[in-house]
Amino acid sequence: MDEPRDPQLLKGVLPMLVLALLSERESYGYELVTRLHDGGLDDIAAGTVYPVLNRLERDGQISSRLVASTAGPARKYYLPTTTGTDQLWATARSWRRLAATVEHVLDRTPKES
Amino acid sequence: MLRDTLRRETYLLRFSWAVQDFPKYVRLKRELRTELNATAAEVGMRQAVAGLGHPRVLADGYLAELDRRVPRWNTGSWSAVVTITVLTSLWTAYGLGTLSTLEQNGGGTSTATFLGATTTYTWTAGSISFATVLTWQLVVFLLLAFLVPFLVGARAWRLWPTSRSLQTA
Repeated sequence: MDEPRDPQLLKGVLPMLVLALLSERESYGYELVTRLHDGGLDDIAAGTVYPVLNRLERDGQISSRLVASTAGPARKYYLPTTTGTDQLWATARSWRRLAATVEHVLDRTPKES
Repeated sequence: MLRDTLRRETYLLRFSWAVQDFPKYVRLKRELRTELNATAAEVGMRQAVAGLGHPRVLADGYLAELDRRVPRWNTGSWSAVVTITVLTSLWTAYGLGTLSTLEQNGGGTSTATFLGATTTYTWTAGSISFATVLTWQLVVFLLLAFLVPFLVGARAWRLWPTSRSLQTA
Protein backbone atom coordinates (compact mmCIF):
# COMPACT_ATOMS: atom_id res chain seq x y z
CA MET A 1 0.00 0.00 0.00
CA ASP A 2 1.26 3.51 -0.85
CA GLU A 3 2.38 5.76 1.97
CA PRO A 4 0.12 8.80 2.42
CA ARG A 5 1.70 11.80 0.72
CA ASP A 6 3.18 14.49 2.97
CA PRO A 7 1.17 17.66 2.21
CA GLN A 8 4.16 19.83 3.08
CA LEU A 9 6.27 18.16 0.39
CA LEU A 10 3.53 18.72 -2.16
CA LYS A 11 2.97 22.32 -1.12
CA GLY A 12 6.50 23.26 -2.15
CA VAL A 13 6.28 21.84 -5.66
CA LEU A 14 2.62 22.38 -6.53
CA PRO A 15 3.10 25.84 -8.09
CA MET A 16 5.84 24.39 -10.30
CA LEU A 17 3.61 21.48 -11.35
CA VAL A 18 0.74 23.85 -12.10
CA LEU A 19 3.01 26.03 -14.24
CA ALA A 20 4.39 22.96 -16.01
CA LEU A 21 0.94 21.61 -16.90
CA LEU A 22 -0.31 25.02 -17.99
CA SER A 23 2.73 25.50 -20.20
CA GLU A 24 1.72 22.29 -22.02
CA ARG A 25 -1.71 23.74 -22.68
CA GLU A 26 -4.08 26.22 -21.07
CA SER A 27 -6.68 24.80 -18.69
CA TYR A 28 -9.52 25.88 -16.43
CA GLY A 29 -9.50 25.08 -12.73
CA TYR A 30 -11.28 21.75 -12.63
CA GLU A 31 -9.56 20.51 -15.79
CA LEU A 32 -6.22 21.29 -14.21
CA VAL A 33 -7.20 19.29 -11.12
CA THR A 34 -8.09 16.29 -13.28
CA ARG A 35 -4.79 16.64 -15.16
CA LEU A 36 -2.94 16.59 -11.84
CA HIS A 37 -4.92 13.46 -10.92
CA ASP A 38 -3.96 11.88 -14.23
CA GLY A 39 -0.35 12.84 -13.57
CA GLY A 40 -0.32 10.76 -10.39
CA LEU A 41 -1.50 13.23 -7.76
CA ASP A 42 -4.77 11.37 -7.50
CA ASP A 43 -5.54 12.57 -3.97
CA ILE A 44 -5.15 16.28 -4.62
CA ALA A 45 -8.30 18.34 -4.04
CA ALA A 46 -9.57 21.27 -6.07
CA GLY A 47 -9.45 23.24 -2.83
CA THR A 48 -5.66 22.82 -2.80
CA VAL A 49 -5.18 23.95 -6.39
CA TYR A 50 -7.39 27.08 -6.52
CA PRO A 51 -5.37 29.06 -3.92
CA VAL A 52 -2.21 28.28 -5.89
CA LEU A 53 -3.82 29.52 -9.11
CA ASN A 54 -4.90 32.67 -7.31
CA ARG A 55 -1.39 33.27 -5.99
CA LEU A 56 0.26 32.66 -9.36
CA GLU A 57 -2.17 35.03 -11.05
CA ARG A 58 -1.62 37.69 -8.39
CA ASP A 59 2.12 37.38 -8.87
CA GLY A 60 1.75 37.78 -12.62
CA GLN A 61 3.01 34.26 -13.37
CA ILE A 62 -0.20 33.19 -15.08
CA SER A 63 -2.91 35.09 -16.89
CA SER A 64 -6.54 34.13 -17.32
CA ARG A 65 -9.36 34.61 -19.77
CA LEU A 66 -13.03 33.69 -19.67
CA VAL A 67 -14.09 31.32 -22.42
CA ALA A 68 -17.73 30.66 -23.21
CA SER A 69 -18.71 27.01 -23.11
CA THR A 70 -21.47 25.17 -24.93
CA ALA A 71 -21.68 22.68 -22.04
CA GLY A 72 -22.41 25.13 -19.26
CA PRO A 73 -21.21 28.45 -17.87
CA ALA A 74 -18.07 30.28 -19.02
CA ARG A 75 -14.77 28.84 -17.83
CA LYS A 76 -11.71 30.72 -16.67
CA TYR A 77 -8.69 29.42 -18.57
CA TYR A 78 -5.16 29.95 -17.26
CA LEU A 79 -1.89 30.24 -19.19
CA PRO A 80 1.66 31.03 -17.96
CA THR A 81 3.00 34.49 -18.68
CA THR A 82 6.61 35.09 -19.71
CA THR A 83 7.44 35.68 -16.04
CA GLY A 84 5.72 32.42 -15.15
CA THR A 85 7.61 30.50 -17.81
CA ASP A 86 10.94 31.93 -16.61
CA GLN A 87 9.96 31.06 -13.06
CA LEU A 88 9.09 27.51 -14.14
CA TRP A 89 12.52 26.94 -15.68
CA ALA A 90 14.30 28.40 -12.66
CA THR A 91 12.25 26.34 -10.20
CA ALA A 92 12.65 23.20 -12.31
CA ARG A 93 16.45 23.63 -12.30
CA SER A 94 16.45 24.07 -8.51
CA TRP A 95 14.19 21.07 -8.10
CA ARG A 96 16.40 18.83 -10.22
CA ARG A 97 19.50 19.88 -8.27
CA LEU A 98 17.72 19.26 -4.96
CA ALA A 99 16.28 15.94 -6.12
CA ALA A 100 19.75 14.78 -7.22
CA THR A 101 21.21 15.75 -3.86
CA VAL A 102 18.41 14.03 -1.94
CA GLU A 103 18.78 10.92 -4.08
CA HIS A 104 22.52 10.91 -3.54
CA VAL A 105 22.14 11.10 0.25
CA LEU A 106 19.36 8.52 0.35
CA ASP A 107 21.45 6.12 -1.72
CA ARG A 108 24.01 6.01 1.10
CA THR A 109 21.46 5.20 3.82
CA PRO A 110 20.76 1.57 4.76
CA LYS A 111 18.01 0.05 2.64
CA GLU A 112 14.62 -0.79 4.08
CA SER A 113 14.38 -4.51 4.94
CA MET B 1 -31.64 23.32 -9.24
CA LEU B 2 -32.73 25.13 -6.09
CA ARG B 3 -30.92 22.53 -3.99
CA ASP B 4 -27.72 23.11 -5.99
CA THR B 5 -28.00 26.87 -5.56
CA LEU B 6 -28.54 26.44 -1.81
CA ARG B 7 -25.61 24.05 -1.54
CA ARG B 8 -23.34 26.45 -3.45
CA GLU B 9 -24.41 29.60 -1.62
CA THR B 10 -24.21 27.94 1.80
CA TYR B 11 -20.67 26.88 1.03
CA LEU B 12 -19.75 30.35 -0.28
CA LEU B 13 -21.25 32.01 2.81
CA ARG B 14 -19.16 29.86 5.13
CA PHE B 15 -16.12 30.41 2.92
CA SER B 16 -16.53 34.18 2.77
CA TRP B 17 -16.74 34.42 6.56
CA ALA B 18 -13.58 32.35 6.93
CA VAL B 19 -11.66 34.19 4.22
CA GLN B 20 -12.52 37.75 5.26
CA ASP B 21 -8.85 38.46 6.05
CA PHE B 22 -8.07 38.19 2.36
CA PRO B 23 -7.87 41.54 0.53
CA LYS B 24 -10.81 41.90 -1.90
CA TYR B 25 -12.25 38.59 -0.78
CA VAL B 26 -15.57 39.40 -2.49
CA ARG B 27 -13.80 39.03 -5.83
CA LEU B 28 -12.40 35.73 -4.61
CA LYS B 29 -15.88 34.55 -3.73
CA ARG B 30 -17.16 35.59 -7.15
CA GLU B 31 -14.39 33.65 -8.88
CA LEU B 32 -15.07 30.61 -6.74
CA ARG B 33 -18.74 30.76 -7.71
CA THR B 34 -17.68 30.78 -11.39
CA GLU B 35 -15.42 27.76 -10.79
CA LEU B 36 -18.18 25.92 -8.90
CA ASN B 37 -20.68 26.52 -11.68
CA ALA B 38 -18.20 25.35 -14.32
CA THR B 39 -17.25 22.25 -12.33
CA ALA B 40 -20.86 21.46 -11.49
CA ALA B 41 -21.67 21.39 -15.20
CA GLU B 42 -19.31 18.40 -15.47
CA VAL B 43 -19.68 16.51 -12.18
CA GLY B 44 -22.70 18.00 -10.44
CA MET B 45 -22.84 20.57 -7.67
CA ARG B 46 -22.56 18.04 -4.85
CA GLN B 47 -19.21 16.75 -6.11
CA ALA B 48 -18.03 20.22 -7.11
CA VAL B 49 -18.58 21.48 -3.57
CA ALA B 50 -17.14 18.32 -2.00
CA GLY B 51 -13.99 18.71 -4.11
CA LEU B 52 -13.25 22.04 -2.48
CA GLY B 53 -13.05 20.50 0.98
CA HIS B 54 -14.05 22.28 4.16
CA PRO B 55 -14.58 26.03 3.58
CA ARG B 56 -12.35 26.87 6.55
CA VAL B 57 -9.51 24.77 5.14
CA LEU B 58 -9.97 26.31 1.69
CA ALA B 59 -9.89 29.80 3.23
CA ASP B 60 -6.72 28.87 5.13
CA GLY B 61 -5.23 27.77 1.81
CA TYR B 62 -5.85 31.21 0.31
CA LEU B 63 -4.64 33.00 3.43
CA ALA B 64 -1.47 30.93 3.53
CA GLU B 65 -0.64 32.26 0.07
CA LEU B 66 -0.54 35.82 1.43
CA ASP B 67 2.85 37.21 2.39
CA ARG B 68 1.58 38.26 5.79
CA ARG B 69 -1.51 38.09 7.98
CA VAL B 70 -3.96 40.98 7.68
CA PRO B 71 -6.55 42.43 10.10
CA ARG B 72 -10.07 40.99 10.28
CA TRP B 73 -12.11 44.18 10.04
CA ASN B 74 -15.47 42.38 9.80
CA THR B 75 -14.84 40.45 13.01
CA GLY B 76 -13.73 43.69 14.66
CA SER B 77 -16.93 45.45 13.58
CA TRP B 78 -19.08 42.62 14.89
CA SER B 79 -17.21 42.58 18.21
CA ALA B 80 -17.79 46.32 18.61
CA VAL B 81 -21.47 46.07 17.64
CA VAL B 82 -22.06 43.21 20.09
CA THR B 83 -20.32 45.09 22.92
CA ILE B 84 -22.26 48.29 22.29
CA THR B 85 -25.53 46.31 22.01
CA VAL B 86 -24.89 44.55 25.33
CA LEU B 87 -24.03 47.84 27.07
CA THR B 88 -27.07 49.60 25.58
CA SER B 89 -29.32 46.71 26.63
CA LEU B 90 -27.97 46.79 30.19
CA TRP B 91 -28.41 50.56 30.36
CA THR B 92 -31.95 50.35 28.96
CA ALA B 93 -32.88 47.51 31.35
CA TYR B 94 -31.55 49.53 34.27
CA GLY B 95 -33.56 52.58 33.15
CA LEU B 96 -36.78 50.60 32.69
CA GLY B 97 -36.29 48.97 36.10
CA THR B 98 -35.81 52.36 37.72
CA LEU B 99 -38.92 53.77 36.02
CA SER B 100 -40.90 50.69 37.07
CA THR B 101 -39.80 51.21 40.67
CA LEU B 102 -40.79 54.87 40.48
CA GLU B 103 -44.20 53.85 39.17
CA GLN B 104 -44.69 51.37 42.02
CA ASN B 105 -43.77 54.13 44.47
CA GLY B 106 -46.43 56.41 43.02
CA GLY B 107 -44.13 58.43 40.75
CA GLY B 108 -41.28 60.81 41.32
CA THR B 109 -37.73 61.44 40.19
CA SER B 110 -34.56 59.43 40.64
CA THR B 111 -31.00 60.06 39.56
CA ALA B 112 -28.06 57.77 38.88
CA THR B 113 -24.47 58.84 38.27
CA PHE B 114 -21.86 56.96 36.23
CA LEU B 115 -18.48 58.47 35.44
CA GLY B 116 -19.80 61.88 36.39
CA ALA B 117 -22.74 61.67 33.98
CA THR B 118 -26.06 62.02 35.76
CA THR B 119 -29.15 60.34 34.42
CA THR B 120 -32.48 61.62 35.69
CA TYR B 121 -35.47 59.27 35.65
CA THR B 122 -38.93 60.85 35.94
CA TRP B 123 -42.32 59.21 36.33
CA THR B 124 -45.23 61.57 36.84
CA ALA B 125 -48.88 61.47 35.90
CA GLY B 126 -48.09 63.58 32.82
CA SER B 127 -44.74 62.27 31.67
CA ILE B 128 -42.30 59.40 31.69
CA SER B 129 -38.73 60.21 30.78
CA PHE B 130 -35.08 59.71 31.39
CA ALA B 131 -32.28 61.97 30.29
CA THR B 132 -28.50 61.86 30.62
CA VAL B 133 -26.09 64.75 30.77
CA LEU B 134 -22.91 63.60 29.03
CA THR B 135 -19.48 64.14 30.51
CA TRP B 136 -16.14 63.70 28.79
CA GLN B 137 -15.43 60.67 30.98
CA LEU B 138 -18.58 58.93 29.72
CA VAL B 139 -17.76 59.85 26.12
CA VAL B 140 -14.26 58.40 26.53
CA PHE B 141 -15.74 55.25 28.10
CA LEU B 142 -18.15 54.81 25.18
CA LEU B 143 -15.36 55.38 22.66
CA LEU B 144 -13.20 52.79 24.41
CA ALA B 145 -16.17 50.39 24.63
CA PHE B 146 -16.33 50.62 20.85
CA LEU B 147 -12.66 50.85 19.95
CA VAL B 148 -11.18 48.16 22.21
CA PRO B 149 -13.43 45.28 21.01
CA PHE B 150 -13.09 46.59 17.46
CA LEU B 151 -9.30 46.68 17.49
CA VAL B 152 -8.90 43.43 19.44
CA GLY B 153 -11.52 41.62 17.32
CA ALA B 154 -9.89 42.91 14.15
CA ARG B 155 -6.38 41.89 15.33
CA ALA B 156 -5.32 45.42 14.43
CA TRP B 157 -1.72 44.70 15.41
CA ARG B 158 -1.43 42.77 12.14
CA LEU B 159 -1.16 46.15 10.40
CA TRP B 160 2.42 46.29 11.56
CA PRO B 161 4.71 43.94 9.67
CA THR B 162 6.45 41.32 11.78
CA SER B 163 10.16 40.60 11.47
CA ARG B 164 9.19 37.32 9.73
CA SER B 165 7.08 39.04 7.07
CA LEU B 166 9.85 41.59 6.51
CA GLN B 167 12.27 38.73 5.89
CA THR B 168 9.96 37.15 3.30
CA ALA B 169 9.19 40.47 1.59
